[in-house]
Amino acid sequence: MPPRLDTLAKGHEFPATTFVLSPEWVREYVAAVEDEAIGTLGPGLVPPMAVAALAVRALLDRAALPPGAVHIGQEMTFRRATRVGERLSASARIVSRGERQGWVLMGVDLSVSGDAGPVMEGRATLTMPAVEEAP
Amino acid sequence: MTAPAVGTELAPVMVAVTQEKINRYAEAGGDGNPLHTDPQFAAQTQFGGTIAHGMLLLAYLSRMLTAAFGEAWLSGGRLKVRFRAPARPGDTISAVGQVIRADGGGIVCAVECRNQARETLVSGEAEVPA
Repeated sequence: MPPRLDTLAKGHEFPATTFVLSPEWVREYVAAVEDEAIGTLGPGLVPPMAVAALAVRALLDRAALPPGAVHIGQEMTFRRATRVGERLSASARIVSRGERQGWVLMGVDLSVSGDAGPVMEGRATLTMPAVEEAP
Repeated sequence: MTAPAVGTELAPVMVAVTQEKINRYAEAGGDGNPLHTDPQFAAQTQFGGTIAHGMLLLAYLSRMLTAAFGEAWLSGGRLKVRFRAPARPGDTISAVGQVIRADGGGIVCAVECRNQARETLVSGEAEVPA
């Protein structure tokens, strides 16, 4: 059972995790987001937001989002296009963490790279209920 | 790519959000936060019901930017947004954008996701290399 994200401290680094842009998963993602544009660019290209989603999915294997967590901001830079079948590596680090009135505000930097170099980096800003102390 | 003139509006993307689509995204994205998928849980939160994933709304913006700029968006695009209000099942989302700067450094667009009441759900800027 991974630790809850809100219990982790500023500076926490998540171990790099690898994943593959499998054709089945990319098809599932494209259908889920109804992305009719990516297919017009030619076969095999992956929507850039799919890479971000899969990197977040890999992150969620290492830290559980507490129920009620809300995404309040996002920055992303895409360095290069990716293709179906690529193996990528994602890493993440908690760059800010504050707590106020029972809510945690957290910034998480995420970067993704592959054999051909960096793919994307970004920062998610999240807020979530803090763990309640036992009475 | 010829840089579009300042003021040019990008072709919008319109999507009807349903709970089924939210569930499908939760499955693909591996984000089963009950705020998105469990109506009973979500009813007890400040939102009063389930809401769509923020990353799902960003996927609609990305679809619009892919259609407008092609591979330039995939290789060098930047996005910076704030989530201002939730998208709920039953909403019709419009992803819209307008060029606000275009020079040798790149093309900058103001981008938004709005609901059918024209309430801004997501707003920010996207930049694509020139």
